[in-house]
Amino acid sequence: MDFVISIMEQGLIYGILALGVYITYKILDFPDLTVDGSFPLGGAVTAFLLTRGANPYLSLFAAFLAGALAGVCTGLIHVKCRVRDLLSGIIMMTALWTINLYIAGTANVPLFSQETIFKNGILEKVFPEGLQPYSTLLIIIILMLISKFLLDAYLQTKSGYLLRAVGDNATLVISLAKDQGNVKIVGLALANGLVSLAGSIFCQEERVFEISMGTGAIVIGLASVIIGTSIFRKFTMLKATSAVITGSVIYKACVAIALQNFEPQAMKLITAVLFLVILIVGMERRKKVKTDAGA
Amino acid sequence: MKKRMTAIFLTAAMTVVMMTGCGSKEGTTESGGDKGTGDSYTVGIQQFAEHGSLDNCREGFIKGLEEEGIVKGENLTLEIKNAMADTATNAQIADGFASDKVDMICAIATPSAQSAYNAAMDKEIPVIYTAVTDPVAAELADKDGNPVGEITGTSDKLPVEEQLKMIRALLPEAKKLGIMYTTSEANSVSAIEEYQLLAGDYGFELIEKGITQTADVALAADDLLEQVDCMTNLTDNTVVASLPTILEKANEKGIPVFGSEIEQVKIGCLAAEGIDYIALGKQTGKMAAQVLKGEKKASDIPYEIITEPGFYVNNKVAENLKIEIPADLTEQAIESFDEISE
Repeated sequence: MDFVISIMEQGLIYGILALGVYITYKILDFPDLTVDGSFPLGGAVTAFLLTRGANPYLSLFAAFLAGALAGVCTGLIHVKCRVRDLLSGIIMMTALWTINLYIAGTANVPLFSQETIFKNGILEKVFPEGLQPYSTLLIIIILMLISKFLLDAYLQTKSGYLLRAVGDNATLVISLAKDQGNVKIVGLALANGLVSLAGSIFCQEERVFEISMGTGAIVIGLASVIIGTSIFRKFTMLKATSAVITGSVIYKACVAIALQNFEPQAMKLITAVLFLVILIVGMERRKKVKTDAGA
Repeated sequence: MKKRMTAIFLTAAMTVVMMTGCGSKEGTTESGGDKGTGDSYTVGIQQFAEHGSLDNCREGFIKGLEEEGIVKGENLTLEIKNAMADTATNAQIADGFASDKVDMICAIATPSAQSAYNAAMDKEIPVIYTAVTDPVAAELADKDGNPVGEITGTSDKLPVEEQLKMIRALLPEAKKLGIMYTTSEANSVSAIEEYQLLAGDYGFELIEKGITQTADVALAADDLLEQVDCMTNLTDNTVVASLPTILEKANEKGIPVFGSEIEQVKIGCLAAEGIDYIALGKQTGKMAAQVLKGEKKASDIPYEIITEPGFYVNNKVAENLKIEIPADLTEQAIESFDEISE
C-alpha cells in the first residue's frame, strides 16, 4: 500500500507540473523549456520564504506568482523581441539557474526544521490520528484538484477560449481583433505558474531544495502529457486535464516499477521502453477508431 | 462503453502497480529480511550518483558490515539503488525503501541522505549516511554534532588545513593557488569558504573560478591556468569528472595540480592530503552494524569524521614537473604511484 501511496504522491505533484506543460505544449503549441527553470524556481522561492519563517501556504501563492513572472518573461522575449519559441524558453531556463541560486542562497537548502504545508501545528490538530499516514497524499490531492478545477474553469472563460484558439486557429484570434501575442504571454504565465507551484509542493514534500531538481522536469512533463492524452484519446468523457494528471501518475508508476525490478543503471532505458510501449498502445487505439469510423 | 474501457484500463494499471509492490515484499521475506527474525537484515543502499569516491564508499560500507559479521548472502540482503544524479528518481528510491520497510537505509552523498531521512522518519527506519560533507548545514545534525533523529553517519569534510600545509611544503615558492568549483554544489561552496579563510595563513593568494556545468571546464581551465602557480581540487563532482581535461592543460604549462583524494592522484594529480573513501565507508559500515544489532540507536551516535587524512603522491607526475618530494613526506605517504593510470 505504501508503494502505491508514494507513486500517487509523486505522480500527482508532477501532475500539476504536467498541467502547465499541457497548456504550452498542447494548447498553445509552444515548446516551452522554461519549465526546467521554473520548477526549481518554485522550490527556491519556497526555501527562501520558509527559512525566514513565512507561512508555508503563502509560499504556494508566492511560488505561483514567481513562476508566472518567469512565464511572462519568456513570453515577452518571444513576442516582443521576436525570438523563436524554443530559444526564448532556453534563454529563460538558463537565466533562472542563476536566479534560483540567488534566491535560495545556496545549492542545497534543507527544510527539516521548518513548518511546511504537510507538517505544521494546525494540521496535526485538524487531521485525526488514523488519517495521519495519509495526510500528505490528501493534501496533494486537494492541491491537485484545486489546480485542475481552476484551470478547467479558466479554459471555459473568454480568455480561456482565446488561449485555445491561438494554438488551434490563429486566424480566428486575429479576426476577433485580439492580439495573439498577449494571449500567448497569458498562457505562458499560467503554465509556468503551475509548474512553479508544483516545484514548491515537491520541495516541501521532500523537505529540501536542491538546485538540480529541475533537470529533466520538461521531459517528465511532456511524457505525462503525451501518455495521458494518447491513452485517453478515445475517452471524450475524460477532460484533458484529468488525462494529463493520470498520465503523470502512470509515468511515475513506470519509473517506480523500473526502479523496483531492474538494475539502477538500466533504469532510464527501461523507463524509455515502458514509455514507448504505452505510446504504441495508445496509437493502436487511435487506428481502431479510424477503422471503426470507416466501417 | 467508454466508461467501461476506462475502468478496465485503470484496474489493469492498478494491478500492475500492486503486483510489483507485492513482488518486492516477497523478495524480502524469502531472504528472511524480516525485522522479527533478529539476526537477519535487509539494508537499502541509496547512492546519489555514479562516481569513483561514492562507489568506494559503498564498497567500504559493505566491507565494514562484513567485518562486524553481517555478510551479504548470509544474514544480509542488500538492495542497491543509484539515482544517477536525478532528484526525482532520488525521491522515489527513498520512498521505495521506506515502503519496503527495509531495516536500514544507507545513504551515500548529501541529497540521498536528505531524501532518505525525509522518507524514513515517519516509518522509524534508521538512516546511516556517508560522504555528507557538512551534516550540520544539511540539517542532519544539530550544531553540537548530535543527530536530529534516527540518522547518523560519517562526513567527508576536506582536510583543508593539512592540504595547504602539504602544498606549501612541496612548493615553497608558489604564491597563487587556483581552485575550480561548481557554483551549484553546496559542498564545494563551503569548502571554498574554508580555503578563503585559511589560504592567507600559508601565504597563498586564492584565485577561485566558479563554473556551472561540464561544458565550462575547458574554458575556465585555460583562464585559471593563466593566473596561478598551482591548482588544487575539491571533491566537486563536475570538476573531478572532467579532471583529465584540466590535467592535460596544466601539464602543457607545467603547473602542478593537487588532488583531494586517492583516485585523483592515481590519474595524474601531483599529491593529496585526502580521504580514503573505502576507509570512510568501512567506518560507516561499523556504525551501521551497531545500529542493526540493536547495540545503539542511530540517534545516540554523533556523526564521525576521519581525523587523520592520508598523504598520497604520484612520483611520475613529480618527475615530469621536476618537483622534489621532501623525504619526510615520502615516508608518510600511505600510497605512492609510479605511473599515471588513464
